[in-house]
Amino acid sequence: MSPTRAPLEERNREQRRAEIRRAARALLREPLLRGEGRTADDFRLVRQYARELREWFDRNTGWPLQVDSEIARLRKSPGDVHVSTHAARETGGAKLPFTRRRYVLFCLALAVLERSEKQIALGRLASNIVLEAAEPSLAGTGIAFTLEDRGERTDLVAVVRLLIELGVLGRVAGHEEDYVRDTGDVLYDVRRRVLAGLLTGRTGPSMITAEPFEERLAALAADPALDAMDSDDLRNRSLRHALTRRLLDDPVLYHATLTEAEAHYLTSQRAAITTRITELTGLVAEVRAEGIAMVDPDDDLTDVRMPEQGTHGHITLLLAERLAADGTAPVPLARLEADIRELARTYGGYWSKTAREPGAERELVARAVEKLAALSLAETGTDPATGEPTIAPLPALARYAVGEPVVRTAGTSRP
Amino acid sequence: MSAAADPRTATPDDAPEQPSRHRPFSYLTAPNAPLYRAVMGVFVREKERYTVHLRPEEVHRLLPDAHRPDEPDTVVDALDRLTEWGNLRPDPDTTRVTAVEDFYRRRYIYQLTREGEAVEEALAAYDAGLGRRGALQAVALADIEARLRELLAHTRQESPDAAVVHLALRDLAGRFGDLADNARAFMGSLQRTIDLHDADVAAFLAYKDRLIGYLERFIGDLVVTGSAVARLLTELERPGLDGDPAVDRLLRIAAERDAEDAAPDGPGTTDPAARPDSTALAAALDLWRGRWDGLRGWFLHSSGHEPQAKLLRSAAHSAIPQLLAVVSALNERRSGRSDRSADFRALARWFAAAPDDASRHRLWRTAFGLYPARHLTVDATTLDARQADPVPPNTPWAEAEPLRISPQLRKTGTYERRGKPNRITDRTAERRHLAELNRKQAEEIAAARARLDTGGPIRLSDIGELDPAAFGLFLGLLGDALSTWRPGTTHTVATSNDGGMAIRMRVLDSGGTAEIRTPHGVFRGPDHLVEITDVDGRAAEEAYGQEAPGT
Repeated sequence: MSPTRAPLEERNREQRRAEIRRAARALLREPLLRGEGRTADDFRLVRQYARELREWFDRNTGWPLQVDSEIARLRKSPGDVHVSTHAARETGGAKLPFTRRRYVLFCLALAVLERSEKQIALGRLASNIVLEAAEPSLAGTGIAFTLEDRGERTDLVAVVRLLIELGVLGRVAGHEEDYVRDTGDVLYDVRRRVLAGLLTGRTGPSMITAEPFEERLAALAADPALDAMDSDDLRNRSLRHALTRRLLDDPVLYHATLTEAEAHYLTSQRAAITTRITELTGLVAEVRAEGIAMVDPDDDLTDVRMPEQGTHGHITLLLAERLAADGTAPVPLARLEADIRELARTYGGYWSKTAREPGAERELVARAVEKLAALSLAETGTDPATGEPTIAPLPALARYAVGEPVVRTAGTSRP
Repeated sequence: MSAAADPRTATPDDAPEQPSRHRPFSYLTAPNAPLYRAVMGVFVREKERYTVHLRPEEVHRLLPDAHRPDEPDTVVDALDRLTEWGNLRPDPDTTRVTAVEDFYRRRYIYQLTREGEAVEEALAAYDAGLGRRGALQAVALADIEARLRELLAHTRQESPDAAVVHLALRDLAGRFGDLADNARAFMGSLQRTIDLHDADVAAFLAYKDRLIGYLERFIGDLVVTGSAVARLLTELERPGLDGDPAVDRLLRIAAERDAEDAAPDGPGTTDPAARPDSTALAAALDLWRGRWDGLRGWFLHSSGHEPQAKLLRSAAHSAIPQLLAVVSALNERRSGRSDRSADFRALARWFAAAPDDASRHRLWRTAFGLYPARHLTVDATTLDARQADPVPPNTPWAEAEPLRISPQLRKTGTYERRGKPNRITDRTAERRHLAELNRKQAEEIAAARARLDTGGPIRLSDIGELDPAAFGLFLGLLGDALSTWRPGTTHTVATSNDGGMAIRMRVLDSGGTAEIRTPHGVFRGPDHLVEITDVDGRAAEEAYGQEAPGT
């Protein structure tokens, strides 16, 4: 049929599919969307297609999608709890990952907000956190807060800013800087719906009694209702969920990281799983001998990019090249730092000023390595002989190569 | 100094004269400080009972058990040392004795010196200041009110009794000072969240009811008495007989009495030759005016200042919910109830106890699930190439055609993304085509809508025949209308999702069946009266000056 004659339904269907795709990608990028502010448009789309999305996620990933008049929340849980490259980060500045103290402060702040009125002042929040932190079982871990010195106040403000970004708090009056300097206070609205949607697991952490850390984490990620039953059908379902989760969330799924049952299931169901993901999200399966990567033609369903413009992106690229050239052997970080010094002589002219300063290598290498590890292109380790930190390339690193220099570049002659 | 000049003093003649005025404080740092302190305590207590002189035996007897030495002579030594520092003054004991050895023994009676007394007062104030738990005195308010009434009565007299006025004002100032001090301490301790960070939990829970009751009583008193006080203050500030505020006369009377007491060589000693001079009077009057301003600032609005009493009241008010929050936090902590707050507390413990930062990041990801998806990218050129020539799934990454990174990016760290610009130019034609398609379809929809517009209420059975586009729209509208239909409904109004069309439906008493014919079949249902309005279409028509002919 010629496109001019395309009936209304066909066009509607096409538009629906595009909108569902946008909604699904929005949820995968940001699993908690609010009906107001920055995420309002995405929220509206998700709400419009809530039924379709809920069905898809429930069937393929086991992630509940909850949509009400204020928030849309996809209760994601990772397919692989061993990935440690998704830290909570401060919202501004260097976007440093959260520290032990900040994580604890974050949870205590939520515990306080859970019981607070509709509004709260930062000073009141702080004093109630100090009260919570005095709980013997917490104090027993050796952590203590007085929130009196500047460093601790800065930690609290980093936590509060993350809560603002998530939409749990809305600033009404005042500035956090004044609180840090002890010259003022800040007033917030507490958004209870958002607060109620923060935890993702099926089991409340307070109900989990498992002791060592790994067991706690496993208990937190588990779905007790599903685990209690046992049938082939359910086993297959949980395999499908785990694999789909990893393919939806993680850059590369290496076969080497799968259990036997998972590998078996993936072999038989690979096409079905990846096709469904492509239909929903537009991600394309890159199937190779070592594993599968769902790659993104739109390049926006990610928080870490490679290749990327700018000094850090450039350095990551150059180091990746060095790493790939060495085969699969782990490389000591110290050697990469030496490489940076050498590369700076050739390419330093294109880099930011701070990157060219002597002594910047450590930070530059750390950031590049963090990126490569986050994208499953390399993995960090330690040299058993020397105890030095090392980094080793992973197979997917080989998917990058520099293009033939037929494309015009600055400086070469133009046709 | 009289004590030092006394020839019978126990001070050794060769003792170096300490230049410091604060020598009487020396005993606090002396080796036997607790004993000295206890001895001085005896003197202070006895002075309150108007006993001026004490014999060493009496001091020994009156010492608290904990500090009483076995040997009475130890007390004598202590008394001597205190005399040396200037805290005590010995006087010869002239009472009759009944034993010879007593007669030969050096006998003195002791009394506090002015310096010694000042030291004790300072220490008492110091202890009280530190030990204050921020109690609020409701009684103080009643006292203040009574004194103000008394003063008001005085302003109405022709010549008030100076002594009585002075006394009343002094008492007022004292009570008010107490209240203000306590209030300050109270507000301070509230700020520290009821001092609970390290308090004994059981004790706090037992204490809290009394504390809350007390706070409520205090707030009540502050409201009732506070407003009475404010009224009295206003009354006292009304212009009196001479045009000045009535209270001014009273303040001047008090100041004059103070100035009379004040001698040129300092307070305390009375010298009949000293006359109150004008500077002393002015200073005293300033002092009293300052006190009065402090008092009125507490209870009355002045420009730009909330009265302190109001601030105190709101602090006490907000303290109650704060206390209750602390209580419920403690109770929850004890009962171990599971709710979200408990969940967050549990997580806080887990984060604190996690072995390293990597574990904490994993815990964060698993517990909160707020992480974004993360994917590698692929460019359009590569994608097209792969579609044309698929890579077999068992190819290792190293052997498959890689993603070509722009040499420009490789070299400089910046690039115009490869591939995309081509695509954009490629698509302009398609875009134009799509736009054309859009326009045509929009026209089709508009036409279908216009066809569906009934222009007024008609029966369903009168609609007759509809083409597929119009029928699709009609079904949508019918669905919208029926979704509002409840048992017993006879009439409903609904609007399409986009707000472009509206439908009214009413049940027909006559009943009957309506038929709508379409190219694909016949739609049947109970007959209704319907009115379908193409809201957008009509608005557009109006905008075009009703150019469009009715279809």
